[in-house]
Amino acid sequence: MNYRVKNLMAKSVMQICLLFFVVFLAFPLVWMLSTSLKPNPEIYSRIPTLIPKEPTFDHFRAAFGQQDLLSGIYNSFKIGVLSSIVVLIITVPAAYALVRFQTVINKSVMAWILVSQLFPSILIIIPLFVLLRNLALTNSHIGIILVYTVWSVPFVLWMMRSYVKAIPIELEEAAFIDGCNRLQVLSKIVFPLLVPGIVASGLFAFVSAWNEFFFALVLLKTPKLTTLPVYLSRFTGSEGMTRLGPLAASCLVATIPTLVVFTFLQKGLVSGLMSGAVKQ
Amino acid sequence: MKRRSWLGQLGLVLPFLIPVVLFSVIPLLRGIYLGFTDYRFGFEMRFNGLENYRYMLTDSYFWSSFRVGAIWTIGTTLGQVVLGLGLAQLLNADLFGQRLARILVLVPWAMPPVIRGLMWNMVFLPDTSGPLNYLLMQAGMISQPINWLNSVAWALPSIILVGIWGGLPQSAIVLLAGLQTIPKELYEAASLDGAGVLGQFRYVTLPSLKPIITSIVSLRFMWNFNAFGLVWTLTQGGPGGRTRLPMLFAYEEGFRYGNAGYAAALGNVMVLVVSLLVVLYLRKELKESEA
Amino acid sequence: MSSRWSIRTGLLLALVLVLGLTSLGYAEPVTLRFVSLAWQEQSVAANLAIVEEWNKLNPDIQVEYVQGSWDSIHDYMVTSFETRDVPDIFHYESAQIIDFSQRGYLTDLSPLIPEEMKADIFDGAWQSVSNEEGQIFGIPFLWESLIVLYNKDILEEAGIELPTSDNPWTWDDLRRVAKELTKDFDGDGEIDQWGAAIPLRAPVNRIMNLTLGYGGGYFQKVDGKHQIRVGLAEKALLQIIMDMIYVDKTAYPGAVGLSGTAVLPAFYEGDYALIPGIGVWARQQIVENAPADFRWGVLPPIKGVSQAQGANPQTLSIPKDSKHAEEAMEFIKFFLTKENMAKLALGDWMFPTRESALALPEFQTDEAGWKVSSETVQHLVMGPWQDSPAYAEWKDRVATPVLQELFSNQITVEEAAQRMEEEGQRILRRYQ
Repeated sequence: MNYRVKNLMAKSVMQICLLFFVVFLAFPLVWMLSTSLKPNPEIYSRIPTLIPKEPTFDHFRAAFGQQDLLSGIYNSFKIGVLSSIVVLIITVPAAYALVRFQTVINKSVMAWILVSQLFPSILIIIPLFVLLRNLALTNSHIGIILVYTVWSVPFVLWMMRSYVKAIPIELEEAAFIDGCNRLQVLSKIVFPLLVPGIVASGLFAFVSAWNEFFFALVLLKTPKLTTLPVYLSRFTGSEGMTRLGPLAASCLVATIPTLVVFTFLQKGLVSGLMSGAVKQ
Repeated sequence: MKRRSWLGQLGLVLPFLIPVVLFSVIPLLRGIYLGFTDYRFGFEMRFNGLENYRYMLTDSYFWSSFRVGAIWTIGTTLGQVVLGLGLAQLLNADLFGQRLARILVLVPWAMPPVIRGLMWNMVFLPDTSGPLNYLLMQAGMISQPINWLNSVAWALPSIILVGIWGGLPQSAIVLLAGLQTIPKELYEAASLDGAGVLGQFRYVTLPSLKPIITSIVSLRFMWNFNAFGLVWTLTQGGPGGRTRLPMLFAYEEGFRYGNAGYAAALGNVMVLVVSLLVVLYLRKELKESEA
Repeated sequence: MSSRWSIRTGLLLALVLVLGLTSLGYAEPVTLRFVSLAWQEQSVAANLAIVEEWNKLNPDIQVEYVQGSWDSIHDYMVTSFETRDVPDIFHYESAQIIDFSQRGYLTDLSPLIPEEMKADIFDGAWQSVSNEEGQIFGIPFLWESLIVLYNKDILEEAGIELPTSDNPWTWDDLRRVAKELTKDFDGDGEIDQWGAAIPLRAPVNRIMNLTLGYGGGYFQKVDGKHQIRVGLAEKALLQIIMDMIYVDKTAYPGAVGLSGTAVLPAFYEGDYALIPGIGVWARQQIVENAPADFRWGVLPPIKGVSQAQGANPQTLSIPKDSKHAEEAMEFIKFFLTKENMAKLALGDWMFPTRESALALPEFQTDEAGWKVSSETVQHLVMGPWQDSPAYAEWKDRVATPVLQELFSNQITVEEAAQRMEEEGQRILRRYQ
């Protein structure tokens, strides 16, 4: 009885904490929604309102009035999805190889990860650009997908390494003893256990491509190829002035695809496959 | 056998090595080299050895930016990982509205940094039109509106809060994925041994998550140290350099003043200092796991 | 032997082909890339309309409109120059244009500018994009000045006599009026209505532009070298602002941390009567965002010894690496005819730099303070700091923090002046 009461209390405390986190993290989305529906004088009013007094769809009309918003969302989506797929394809096997075979490659890869994460990326852009131009890959989606792929490889590799490490090697050895070959061990034991990690890393790769601004700004010169963050920056003017209404409306529209991706992928994060694999 | 595994590894690693060498290692080497030249945008480039580093020693602005960077990096990394671990636990527990929460907590991550900056600029508006000031004043916690982003006392804490907010979802998701890989049997066994919730956390969750926590701490540490876009939108390093992180400093040198060689030299020093710290941290972890 | 021959024939063939293609290519339409920084809805529309018209009239020279943004244009252009992948025409501001030209990034436009345009655009605007050798690196087309905004209800009720363009207020007049307008209505010891609010969050440009009115320029050139000097003229303006905030207590101290945009909401509420030294663009914010019953107006700039102000016009320039400089200039000529320039200026609530365009009725109406604002153009000059390569760093590292400390009353004017000079020395040395 006592145990159940305690359990219930712990549950309610946790429930409240979760609520707090959700409010803290999602508040800006709510505020953005509210801003996108307010007429200008209300946005700049001295007493802020959460629920617009005179809601208007003008800002949405302005946001959708320009074709570019939708093409920006489309481009970002395409680039994000493709680059995260490429990242996973090249990185997951590499991560496994790096953990399970300790060789000289490991140390250089680790050193590279450190340097690539720490060196100011803005100083890399110029040599990178020259390189891409020589390969005729500037002003193209292929070029930027390559850049984003290489850009998220260090993180994905680093994380995948620790997910691989978290798999007890005994599981693999047991499977070998049971007569499985390496391919079977990989597909039946290792891969299912890695699914949540792969999903998390894929999400990361997608989001970092989706959000990236500077490379997209300088690499994609033709307006038709532009990605979303570059599109959104046009609502800011000189002296820190911003057209908040249309900006909030565009942002809200632009956040929806990502949320859909999240919804879709969150199942993968909670993988039911594992318990089965472990029991094997 | 040893030789075969080396080859096997190469086969698995090669598709990853080629683009990385081409599009990351080569530009990086070029960037590192730039740090030993006097290159200023538009002018001739000359190798000048350690001259940049000699100048750096007397550059008090740079050292004060390092100090700001240290506070910021530790503050945000701690916040992101500790709160992230808590949040991951909550998302993993069987709570009401869990599925929706798993999506909503990712909101900060789904917004491009430009937008994050603009949103928080609105939240932090210095007079009563800012929701934060308005709320706190309504609640009677402050009597005067606070100019969050432009006050000597509040600017750094304010951007640290935003930094934690921005990095929390990702840490939480990575840790949640880690929690998911822990076999339930381990908890059952611990429970049979009489471990309570805290005991299970201490003896099962933490040790199992250790490699993932180590990774996320070191990555977060590096990223936070290197943070740029968000802080630039919020404060541009002000007031009076109170939020001028090392990366902002390097950016100003390189892109605003065109001192590309010096900026690259700053980059080299940043790489050196922080990777030393990270290696030290990882080495300790490594030894612990061997013991 | 025969293989060598075939190589030669091959090469010859290739040469013929290349020549043939280039001569064919000559008739191909040229595409110019034009990066614009227009961001207000009306001005983007005006930009697009002019580009479209051009493209219709000039099938051989097509212009591709690229939407840039003020936040990122600097990084965008620096990267473009360094990688030599440049737009053919880009929109920016004179202060940066001089810096770019010193790095050798820009085409000298002086031989390409038609006489008519040279004569029509104000000299003050040309100054800001030229160097001492008479080369010109951009066509100035929009500019702005700092004006004074006032709350009509408050000033009428107090019976204040308004200044005119011929008889402007001096800073001492402003100080006196601000005293009269500062009120504690309910007698609780807290001021309910401030005489003035001076937005000082990013103080350097505002202060330096206004200091020219006292004859102070912060930077001087001695023997071709820049020096930083914060003397009597420079200190005069700093002192009077400090006195208004902390001695008279007639200028709202909270405005020290506010940007020009951020002071406006409380202005609509009547928290302060005057906003001296705010950009002309603020009028647009008021028209769009103020409550409908808010009554306001524009006063001419405050006078020190003169009403001179620093100008930083927006410009169009052509990078040196552009392969079509002449075609680009043709487009600029079309883009900046009197009528087009007027449209662009109206869209951004700024002034056209052409005298003939400024004379158009839309810039001379009393509505939204256009007439008073337009008259300020005669006071605009180039600040002496604009061609110093050390200015950007000095501004961020020294002047901004020092002035912020000064205006939050942590140091005296004397200390501020000394620090701006001394800490400036090291930075100057770096660039000379």
